[in-house]
Amino acid sequence: MDLDVVEPFFTLRPIKRELEARGLQVVARERHTLGLGETGVPLPAEAKWALRREGDVILDVGYGAYGAQTLNLVEGADRHPDLQVLAVINVARPMTATVEDVVAHVRELGRVDGLINNTHLGEETTVELVQEGARLVTAAARLLGLPVVATSVVKELAPLLGGRDVMGNPVRVLERFMPRAFW
Amino acid sequence: MPAKPKPVEGEKKVFMTGNEVVAWAAAAAGAECMYGYPITPQNEIMHYWTRLAPKFGLIFLQTEDELAAGFTMLGGVLAGRKSFTATAGPGNTLMQEPLSMAEMMRLPAVVVIQQRGGPSTGQVVYSQQEVTLTSLGGNGEGLRVVYSTSSHQDLYDYTIKAFNTAWRYRFPTFVLGDGYQGKMREPVVMYDPELRGVELVPAEPYVGRPGTPGVDRPPAHLRNAYSIEEELYEAVMELVREYEKVAPEIVEHEAFGVDGARVVAVAHGVVFRAVKGVVRELRQQGVPVGYFRPITLRPFPADALRRVAATGVRLLVVESAYGQLARLVKEALSGLPAEVHGLYKPGVLVGQGEIATRIKTLVQGG
Repeated sequence: MDLDVVEPFFTLRPIKRELEARGLQVVARERHTLGLGETGVPLPAEAKWALRREGDVILDVGYGAYGAQTLNLVEGADRHPDLQVLAVINVARPMTATVEDVVAHVRELGRVDGLINNTHLGEETTVELVQEGARLVTAAARLLGLPVVATSVVKELAPLLGGRDVMGNPVRVLERFMPRAFW
Repeated sequence: MPAKPKPVEGEKKVFMTGNEVVAWAAAAAGAECMYGYPITPQNEIMHYWTRLAPKFGLIFLQTEDELAAGFTMLGGVLAGRKSFTATAGPGNTLMQEPLSMAEMMRLPAVVVIQQRGGPSTGQVVYSQQEVTLTSLGGNGEGLRVVYSTSSHQDLYDYTIKAFNTAWRYRFPTFVLGDGYQGKMREPVVMYDPELRGVELVPAEPYVGRPGTPGVDRPPAHLRNAYSIEEELYEAVMELVREYEKVAPEIVEHEAFGVDGARVVAVAHGVVFRAVKGVVRELRQQGVPVGYFRPITLRPFPADALRRVAATGVRLLVVESAYGQLARLVKEALSGLPAEVHGLYKPGVLVGQGEIATRIKTLVQGG
């Protein structure tokens, strides 16, 4: 479910069919928009009612100036018992490069229920970098009183990391689709 | 008062969007003020600058439109502050009026353009259709410097360089990116430029300088208006002479495989990435092809391209516009019997497959 209302899903157009072929339903506007960027884009009706769907629902609230505020557009987001808001942190991004920066960033987002350490440098990611991310994100999570839900790592590096990162957080293995997206 | 912390210390590989890179690079270059008006796809330059501002004592002013952003930026420059703005598309159109004033008054303004599709509001995603506007816009002679970037490292390096070029030569300087470069993420090495031996050219005020004008120092005598034709003619010719004198120090290009090539692909910006990949691959297969990338679109590396064209190669200009780079190429090659072909895809990226096909056809004489 794409909830980025300023620069929505259209960057993922090249991989939409691929995701659907794997059994995912992708709720996002593809071409039929009134405009993008500063002209804005109306939220698809099915996105507003996303939390009424069966099965696992993943909401991508985007990034940028308004952070997680776009969740306000989803009916029931403030009271759904199963909704988890997870902040995905990459310490290789300069704005979240230190424990202090991560804490400040997460506090700006509003409601957050847990952190994911997604530290990487694209194709230049190393295990050492992922582990450094695990240390910083775990330290930030302690200060915030939040759990680290997982450390995510690309499948190529996963065997080198094992089932748990250096801080004991569970490891989630990622298959990268983004190189086939526009950006 | 304690010294302000440096925005970038040492050197570190990081992962971020191109817009974020620009904000950090401007701060690393010693820029103090950004003036801007929101327009996609450059908005995050402003967003990230405003996040850096309270940490590093920087200034941001959002104005009511791009005309105001441009003119307030010139106010910052006149006060001796390294100042910049960022815009795109229709905003770039409006920005030409203040930048024309900067040309006339030799004001070292820095402008980052993240091109989007046109004409008019067009699309907000990507194109290379602001080449003509950025290189030659305004009611003047195009007395400006335009760096065209093709990677995040370029965005970092040339944003820093743009401030130095602007303040060293006192011509407005543009960094020409595009929506894809602005939005995509890739690794980039951020560094403190002074640690790499890059001297940051200091800013100095044009107005409010110490002393009495005419007594302790010459009057500043800043003008953008001339009353009679001959007076303007002399002023413009002086600007042109100055520009042409420094142009050889500024001009930059990159070339590969041009010796012995039958076809040379010419491209800039993000399209150059595709061209570079194709040419290097074809070259490994023994296809006689090379590439030529103008890094400065103004001044254009005409002499270097003429040397390439003089060998009798066929040139293939590849761009996400309908012949805007090709116009600069053809002007540069004026008088030479050079064959210039085009692969023009306004507003969309040019795929490696179609580039390879066109190159092979041209190599075979088609």
